Amino acid sequence: MVSIKLDNVSLIYKLHEKLTLSAPDRRLGATGGRIEGSGRKQFVQALDGVGFELKAGDRLGLVGPNGAGKTTLLKVLYGIYEPSGGSVAIEGKVDALFNINIGFRREATGRRNIVLRGLINGWSEAEIEEKMEGIIAFSELGDFIDLPFKAYSQGMAARLAFSVATALDPEILLMDEWIGAGDASFQEKAKKRMDELAEKAGIIVLASHSESLIQSVCTKRLTLKGGRVESLTAVPVKPAEAASASP
Amino acid sequence: MISVLNSALDDISRTMKLRRVWIALAHEDIGDQHRRTTLGPLWLLVNYLAFAGTFVFVFQPIGKDAAGYGAYVAIGLMVWFYLMEIISLSVPLFKREESFIEGTTLPLFVYVMRLTVQSVIRAGYAVVGCIIILLISGPSLTPAWLWSLAGLLLILLTTPALITVFAFLGAFFPDSEFIVGNLMRVGMFFTPVFWVYNGQDAIQRYSYLWNPFSYFLDVARIPILGGEFPSNAFAITGATALVTWTIALLLLGSYRRQVVFLI
Repeated sequence: MVSIKLDNVSLIYKLHEKLTLSAPDRRLGATGGRIEGSGRKQFVQALDGVGFELKAGDRLGLVGPNGAGKTTLLKVLYGIYEPSGGSVAIEGKVDALFNINIGFRREATGRRNIVLRGLINGWSEAEIEEKMEGIIAFSELGDFIDLPFKAYSQGMAARLAFSVATALDPEILLMDEWIGAGDASFQEKAKKRMDELAEKAGIIVLASHSESLIQSVCTKRLTLKGGRVESLTAVPVKPAEAASASP
Repeated sequence: MISVLNSALDDISRTMKLRRVWIALAHEDIGDQHRRTTLGPLWLLVNYLAFAGTFVFVFQPIGKDAAGYGAYVAIGLMVWFYLMEIISLSVPLFKREESFIEGTTLPLFVYVMRLTVQSVIRAGYAVVGCIIILLISGPSLTPAWLWSLAGLLLILLTTPALITVFAFLGAFFPDSEFIVGNLMRVGMFFTPVFWVYNGQDAIQRYSYLWNPFSYFLDVARIPILGGEFPSNAFAITGATALVTWTIALLLLGSYRRQVVFLI
């Protein structure tokens, strides 16, 4: 059963005093959160007591100001950051879209990039082969698929990234502000695929500053501030969607 | 201590299962570096031959000492260029891989192996150049050459450990990229790459005896040029490999989860 359960999760990391000849103020980390302590003993409290539970079909929108901990929380869920305290229990195959360009090589063609991205995601050669045409078709890149990635616009790169990330039907999909890069028709297509994914008992966690995106995609909203959960609420269903859902 | 080693071995074991990833990325790296050039990676061979030829032409001794100098320089340069490349490129390794480290859950050792494969491919062209010079300069092929092959394998086995240690140095001490770069450039003159140590009692004596790189060169060079097994060089290179691997495993096990916050 696909699920995510976070209990009192905190993430604290030390601001390492790197041995460097440059001025100290240039060395602070870029991750958000609260900086505590002073001098050589400075810590960043990036997440503090975060707890929530998601079950199959949930679509959670992470909102909050810059530095609130949205991306940090996504990276904890993905396993990039190891929490300093609390527990993270995840059941299901997780895939993530943090940065459109990660894993893509500028000089390689779109087709070759699908292979590389598949390898990074841990797919077998047979899985890559099997999914290749479906990914190309969904991305609508056509003949561009055999051109170098550097020739792609941001929107085209977003299409390819999303197509690859969702090709293997991840049970849990984590996304960070990526979707704004695509055009309106692709955003609609991407939303439809996310709906399908959620209907197949998946979970989506999406960090965004776009209220309209959160409203159209998500069923729950988690507001973060200073690394703490400020509120966890249900996203009201839009009247149009409610009407189409009713018999 | 045990948990630190287990953590490092877990990272390495997961990396080995993902070998298709780092082999594919390393090949892409080599392709990208020479894309749009006419000779492609063959430039690596041309560069090596140009360097080795210049050194032989300028520094070749006169008289009976001239015999075998071409082979001496060819092997020395091949090993030195390899060591210089892996060490210089490993210091900024984690910074260079920042987007991968912050965006994927690939084990850290993947990046170490990516650079290892990339450096081995590049060194392959130097090996071809070295063989050409050996054939021209004429040391006779003997079974002792197999010891040279064993020496190269020992250097190869040490490579991931060297990369790991210097990559962590670069993550904790960013200025080390420039310090190490300068040291490696200067180090070429303090290592018997193109000069020959004949027991002279001068600065060369200390540069030879107290420089671990001298022994890295000797394990590959002495079997071919002297036809004998360099036990002393193998012992010191083996000990260096063991110490480097121990430090690498401790660093990897202790700090692999911290690197994402350091870069």
